[in-house]
Amino acid sequence: HRPHKQSMSSGCQSGCLTCSEYNGCLSCKPRLFIFLERNGMKQTGVCLPSCPSGYYGTRSPDRNDCTKCRPECDSCFTSNFCTRCRPGFYLHQGKCLQTCPEGRVPSTAQRECVL
Amino acid sequence: CFLQHGNAGEGQSTPATCSPLCRCEDGGADCSGRGLTAVPTGLSAFTYYLDISMNNITELPANVFRNLPYLEELRLAGNDLSFIHPDALSGLHQLKVLMLQNNQLRTVPSAALRNLHSLQSLRLDANHITVVPEDSFEGLQQLRHLWLDDNSLTEVPIGPLRHQGNLQALTLALNRIVHIPDHAFANLTSLVVLHLHNNRIQEIGKNCFTGLENLETLDLNFNNLMTFPEAIQTLPKLKELGFHSNNIAVIPEGAFHKNPLLRAIHLYDNPLSFVGVTAFQNLSDLSSLMLRGASMMQEFPILTGTVKLESLTLTGTKISSIPNDLCDVLSLLRTLDLSYNHIQALPSLQGCVKLQEISLQHNQLQQIDRDTFHGLSALRILDLSQNQIKSIHRDGFLFLSGLTNLDLSQNALSGVPTAGLTALNQLKLSGNLQMKQPLSAQSLPKLRSISVPYAYQCCAFIGCDTLLSSTQEAARKRASGGEEDVERVSLVMHCSPSPGAFKPCDHLLGSWMIRL
Repeated sequence: HRPHKQSMSSGCQSGCLTCSEYNGCLSCKPRLFIFLERNGMKQTGVCLPSCPSGYYGTRSPDRNDCTKCRPECDSCFTSNFCTRCRPGFYLHQGKCLQTCPEGRVPSTAQRECVL
Repeated sequence: CFLQHGNAGEGQSTPATCSPLCRCEDGGADCSGRGLTAVPTGLSAFTYYLDISMNNITELPANVFRNLPYLEELRLAGNDLSFIHPDALSGLHQLKVLMLQNNQLRTVPSAALRNLHSLQSLRLDANHITVVPEDSFEGLQQLRHLWLDDNSLTEVPIGPLRHQGNLQALTLALNRIVHIPDHAFANLTSLVVLHLHNNRIQEIGKNCFTGLENLETLDLNFNNLMTFPEAIQTLPKLKELGFHSNNIAVIPEGAFHKNPLLRAIHLYDNPLSFVGVTAFQNLSDLSSLMLRGASMMQEFPILTGTVKLESLTLTGTKISSIPNDLCDVLSLLRTLDLSYNHIQALPSLQGCVKLQEISLQHNQLQQIDRDTFHGLSALRILDLSQNQIKSIHRDGFLFLSGLTNLDLSQNALSGVPTAGLTALNQLKLSGNLQMKQPLSAQSLPKLRSISVPYAYQCCAFIGCDTLLSSTQEAARKRASGGEEDVERVSLVMHCSPSPGAFKPCDHLLGSWMIRL
């Protein structure tokens, strides 16, 4: 088990405030989002200005987190508001639907319900 | 894989190019985190995605993207942008996503944004914006998602938002907004999500949300609201409401009667003292209700019509009784926490067949009747500690075949019925000072941990020199066929307080009263 050596931002990746050799970023500089990259069993912290695709960011005074969108969303604004859907789903008012509501038709290219 | 150079004339697009400073792939160019101080040149004209985030670009000059007419997503987050030339973004007619968060902007670059007629998502969060010019979003008829959180706004940008009829999601969180005037969001008829958390909002107009007829999520958490936000009554489609961590003392009668679609209400960490009994009525989609510390509350809330409740927490009140029809209304209830109230008696909870956890500690219960927990075979955890329970009907636990944890500590019991407790794993009886006779583990086959009023009572469970008289020992052996007994006693892992030198198992001078 590798010793858990923590260092301040100088020896860390860009955007980190504190990091460890084994786990990458442990905390981020202000206003950046911390995201845990998975590599098999290992998790490595990285600090980003926005969360990766499939995740949304939640800002708070002391920490900014990335949280997974719903499974049918490619990207989202919050847990219950998608901004882009996965193939086979169509966006309508923040929801990824498999069929569009009355008056709208699915656009496969845009993955949206359109007029 | 990198974009391969195709030969013109084979139906392939013109030879694609990429800047040596970037990594290009399938029409996308990633030039992020390379210490760049200017937008790289030499990119393919067909680039539709360009990421220049996390560099050191301080300003965008005029026409810097004029060779990228097909750009749909432009990421400029995490630079040091403090100035964007009015013509910097000209020509980007197909741009849908623009990310400018984590920069040094002090105002919304309204001139530069004017002609982005296809823009749907605009991120301006984590800048230092104090001013939102009136014409900031004028040309953006397709705008759906706008991030203005983590800036220095002191008021809602009412004017600039006035024409954003297509806007669906807006965050103004983490700013310095103190007041929300009436009609602040009047024309945002498509808005579905509005985040205002972590501001300094003390007071909101009764009509400040008028016009938000499609709003589903409203987040007012972490503000300084002194009174209940009655303005929510103009939000017929509201599904999720948060106003936890404010200074609200009263939730009025009928508080949510105009919000029948509510699924979640987050209201903890408010100095609640009073909650109207009709506040949570007819919320047929509400799945969880958590009310802590409404110390002046004396009546159990009327929950008729709130039929999908699965978790009810109501603690720290002066409520002394529970309605008899509670389980007729809340048949889907899984967890019920009514601890730290003044409840003196329990109705039958028979109809709550899905109940898994009941917490009733710190009340004034006196007895448990035969049918109080009748039929609750799904119940796993039952906490009745810190009451004044003197008696439990012998069949009081008969139907609790799934119960694993039973806490009866700190009551006035002299005995405890064990019929039905075949799955019991943990039993707490400490503090029942009248319970002096030896205890038998006979009908508790799964018991692993028990706390008892007196150390000598542990002897029956952890195999010290037996306290039981020979007749009781023989009776137990006959009942269990002999071998099982030795194996079962050793399986009881933990009993407290465990007997010892000064807390012997044997009684002195023939009277179990005399013990150290």
